Amino acid sequence: MVTLALILDTVREAMARKVFWAFFFASSAILLFFMFIMHVDVVNGMVASMTIFQARGHVNGNMSAEKLVQNAQGGLSVFLYTVGMGLAIFASAGLISAVFEPGRVELVLSKPVGRTKILLGRYFGNLVIVAANLFYLTLGVWVIFGIKVGVWRPHILLASVVTLFMFSVMLTFILLTAVLWESAAVSIIATFALIVISGVLAAKSMLERLLSSEFSRDVVATLYYALPKIPDGGNILRLVIMGQPVDSWMPIWSTALFGVIALGSGLWIFSKRNF
Amino acid sequence: MSYAIETEGLVKVYKQRWTKREMRAVDGISLKVEPGATFGLLGPNGAGKTTFVKMLLACSHPTSGRAMVFGKDSWIPESRRSIGYLPENHRFPTYLTGAGMLDFYGALSGVDAATRKVRIPELLDMVGLDRWGTTRLGKYSKGMLQRVGLAQALIHEPKLLVLDEPSDGVDPVGRKQIRDILHRLEEKGVTIFLNSHLLQEVELFCRDVAIIRKGKVALEGTVKDLTSEGGYRVDVEHVSDNLAAELKSRAKGVVSNNGTLQFLYNTREEANKAFDTVRAANCEVTAMTKASSTLEEVFIRTVEQK
Repeated sequence: MVTLALILDTVREAMARKVFWAFFFASSAILLFFMFIMHVDVVNGMVASMTIFQARGHVNGNMSAEKLVQNAQGGLSVFLYTVGMGLAIFASAGLISAVFEPGRVELVLSKPVGRTKILLGRYFGNLVIVAANLFYLTLGVWVIFGIKVGVWRPHILLASVVTLFMFSVMLTFILLTAVLWESAAVSIIATFALIVISGVLAAKSMLERLLSSEFSRDVVATLYYALPKIPDGGNILRLVIMGQPVDSWMPIWSTALFGVIALGSGLWIFSKRNF
Repeated sequence: MSYAIETEGLVKVYKQRWTKREMRAVDGISLKVEPGATFGLLGPNGAGKTTFVKMLLACSHPTSGRAMVFGKDSWIPESRRSIGYLPENHRFPTYLTGAGMLDFYGALSGVDAATRKVRIPELLDMVGLDRWGTTRLGKYSKGMLQRVGLAQALIHEPKLLVLDEPSDGVDPVGRKQIRDILHRLEEKGVTIFLNSHLLQEVELFCRDVAIIRKGKVALEGTVKDLTSEGGYRVDVEHVSDNLAAELKSRAKGVVSNNGTLQFLYNTREEANKAFDTVRAANCEVTAMTKASSTLEEVFIRTVEQK
């Protein structure tokens, strides 16, 4: 009951901050576009014609319906993995740090609820908001393309799971920085800094070739394995969309490990804090 | 017997992160509050009152010592089930309605949905906000927020009510309303722990008080004991210097107030002798009263002690 109340409170706050609705309307706009504005004629599994805003587009003579859906799903997944996740980070930082507002945190702490539960309630509430929007959009696109084109590729749903997983790890870092500094702005800056560092470290092989000292190479390797692997996650997402096998799941489990450590640290520091 | 509140040598030391300088906000407070008592915690700004309350509610960790609520360590979440708390400078979520806020904090306090459904209208009615339940808290005045805050503290029918400046921002009518509610709770046996700088309010409501100074309990007792000085005051006007000197020689204190000399004697006999001396000198006694102090006077004397 307590956990559910905490999750619902987070959702209510997100709705009041218009975050939820902003995501919902943006997702709905995309769905409406695919539903009413884009028309596709499929003949014998091949795209015969495609119109957008009544303008008939040129379609490559031998594009299959399967390929069209794959491209559309790929484009949307990459958009959600990059822009969508960025927007979600902006929105979530404020929701997490709001817990620590003076005059509010004392009230929650005075209730017969453990500190871990309080913070986890916020964390999962945040995750619920992002997951609801993400699956609303991807499920909608999956259904629309399934009905319009007759191709039911589930890959976009799997790709959403990858995006949600990466966001859940980013959210643990937001939570950790919010516990430390109680500031949404600092959480946003720190999280984007982590993404940038992760992007640089993705070029590990090249960096190791360029660095002359053994120590520097060890530092790069350690950081690469210790920090979340956002670009590598993007690569896995691409393979999932293409329906190709994933060579290595190391970026996923090592990123998950980072998330577990960040979440554990955040909860431990919160349990020791004085308010 | 388990006390409603019992602290043993409670200490809170804040260390500055870089300079490592220490500040003892609470310095060994041992306090016992009996169940059903109305207790006022007083002290000047920075005396350690709020830190004490925060340790009681597990918002802050004691450096040493411990705090118990009805025999349970306050750090255990379960111990807080019996506490209703209204903080000073609270910030209720403005996106919630009055009823929504009560529902949320009721759920956190372990009240089931069916009970909340019954309790919320009752509480809103009790604090005079029955027509405001569906209005967002962002539209409430400060006085209304205090009242709905009090309702929030009562949602789970606590045995101990900890109130930090409950009348802050409330108009006199609202203040009386809050006092009446607290009196009704007192009659039901609820322990009320009041942290307030409004001494008159504490004097009107509380039976027991403790005055904290520099993190330590400087004075503790019943309001009645602390405000009765045990003496008699004789007020005279237009007396000669010789007579004044004679009266002063037997008094334990004298105060000059707008031309009136107020002599304080330990016993009624001494006061009567002074009365006779004044009458024998053909002067008039303007008043003779049993001396007592207001809580404010006791408070100021206590906090100004070197």
